[in-house]
Amino acid sequence: MRLTRRDRTVLFAPLAVLLGGWLVVPAVLGLVATFTTYSPFTTTVRFSGFANYAAVVQDPQFGAAIRNIAVFTLVAVPLELAIGFGIAYLLRRPMKGRALWRVLLLAPWLVSPIAGGVMWHFLFSGSTGMLDFALGWLRLPEVASPIGDLRLALPTAIAVEVWRVAPFVTFLLLPGLVSIPNARWEEATLAGASWFQQIVHVAVPELRTLLLTVAMLLVGLSLGTFDGILILTGGGPGTATLTPALYSYGRAFQTNDWPVGAASGWLIAAGVIAVGLIYVRLARERVAA
Amino acid sequence: MTRVIVLIAALVAFLLPLVWTVLAAFGLLPDTTPPSWKGSLTFGHFAEIGVAEPTFWQELATSTASAFFAAALAVGVAFLAAYGLARSRVRAGRTLTQGFLVLASLPVMAYVIPLSDVMRRVHLVDTFAGVVLAEAAVTAPLAVFVLHGALAQLSPEWEEAAVLDGAGLFGVLGRVVLPLVAPSLAGTAIVLFVLDWNMLLVPLVLTSGGIKTIPVGMSDFFTFERELDWRTAAAALIVSLAPLALLVTVFHRLLERFSLGLEIGRDIG
Repeated sequence: MRLTRRDRTVLFAPLAVLLGGWLVVPAVLGLVATFTTYSPFTTTVRFSGFANYAAVVQDPQFGAAIRNIAVFTLVAVPLELAIGFGIAYLLRRPMKGRALWRVLLLAPWLVSPIAGGVMWHFLFSGSTGMLDFALGWLRLPEVASPIGDLRLALPTAIAVEVWRVAPFVTFLLLPGLVSIPNARWEEATLAGASWFQQIVHVAVPELRTLLLTVAMLLVGLSLGTFDGILILTGGGPGTATLTPALYSYGRAFQTNDWPVGAASGWLIAAGVIAVGLIYVRLARERVAA
Repeated sequence: MTRVIVLIAALVAFLLPLVWTVLAAFGLLPDTTPPSWKGSLTFGHFAEIGVAEPTFWQELATSTASAFFAAALAVGVAFLAAYGLARSRVRAGRTLTQGFLVLASLPVMAYVIPLSDVMRRVHLVDTFAGVVLAEAAVTAPLAVFVLHGALAQLSPEWEEAAVLDGAGLFGVLGRVVLPLVAPSLAGTAIVLFVLDWNMLLVPLVLTSGGIKTIPVGMSDFFTFERELDWRTAAAALIVSLAPLALLVTVFHRLLERFSLGLEIGRDIG
């Protein structure tokens, strides 16, 4: 139907109030505050320019957090996409109870990152875990938990994240794969395309927008990684698994260094918004084509 | 055939850690030398949750109620806005919708520090309403994106017919649009319920003990007392996972309607 001005107000006002009050206004006020010495615990506020950002950037802990999250994102997101896509591809042809398969496979994603951290903490360590059980089976000696190891902690945290998120990717990609017309697959089969060629020449081009959308969500999620690491390693050992979100939270709420915490929070936002601009650009190219 | 075998292998690989946890919750623990299982089947560890964390059952109720209201509020508000976007003549409507996806990807950590400050100043810290509204705001952008996809697929002709019959905006929404997209709304609400139920940072930062959800309770517990018995922790994990597992299994047909904007690739390509 044709919307009048009044209709539009009625439709958009509730969302505007919700997002304005609980997201946009706090975020913008917070951004302004990062250029001052503002903290809820002090009474005097002075303009301080980029001093807070300088403090964040010069902090070697934040540097370690940036390196960790770069590795984390560059390894975890492609793995999540590849594994999630692979399982969705296997489910693409009609089979009995496909909708049920889709939600059964979703189980790891239903485990909250916090609960997942608790669970893997126990599964990796001690005689009750899966790791020592598997090693015992192979008649190998028991090992210390990889989450306490300086070099293994980050890869382990990545593996746990992939376990949790890859099923969610399958869940998101399956409706897209299912909606590709059968004729497209048949053409490819008649042309003698292997399964790999079918993926490259049929699935990926057809799902380009959906893949971009899912990738955007995953990158955003990954750059904000907090809950999953909090219990699993707490950012350690040392700074081996520290992430910018953990850094930011620690500064603002634990060491009472509010301005530094808020400024580093905004650096996370800036990173996601930059990725978001690339996403909007790429998704629009598709429209133009 | 190979396909089914690979799928079953994938299912086993992804679910094995959860099976391990279920066994531990019922008192069955592995032994490494030689690899075997020990312990006897018991429900006792579920009773011990309340001893280890006295407020656990209260947290379960709080999580359920806050996730329910936050999901309902977000889906309701997002439905109105998504309809507005889908029926706007604005050419930028598509870009605006993609903007909502970027907003949905924004980690809570990016703005939760100033949010906690603002909430304290308006006295919404440690209130049920504060948690519900903040969780709804976090998840609403994703709901707008998904529902816009569902609404853009509807043919406007039905709505025009209702308008000719003299229906206003709410008549059209209630009698024509809502019945057609109800499954999409329900599917989206279920996904949002899961996200809200598992959310840590928002309730963690906006409360100070008065209101407590399960993830906050778990993070408190493991920060201060790491010497928890694994079987009790496993029982708590299973109890906090069971409602979600039940929800998505019972409503798995509705979740078929949850998809990230298929029409975007479809009507153009």
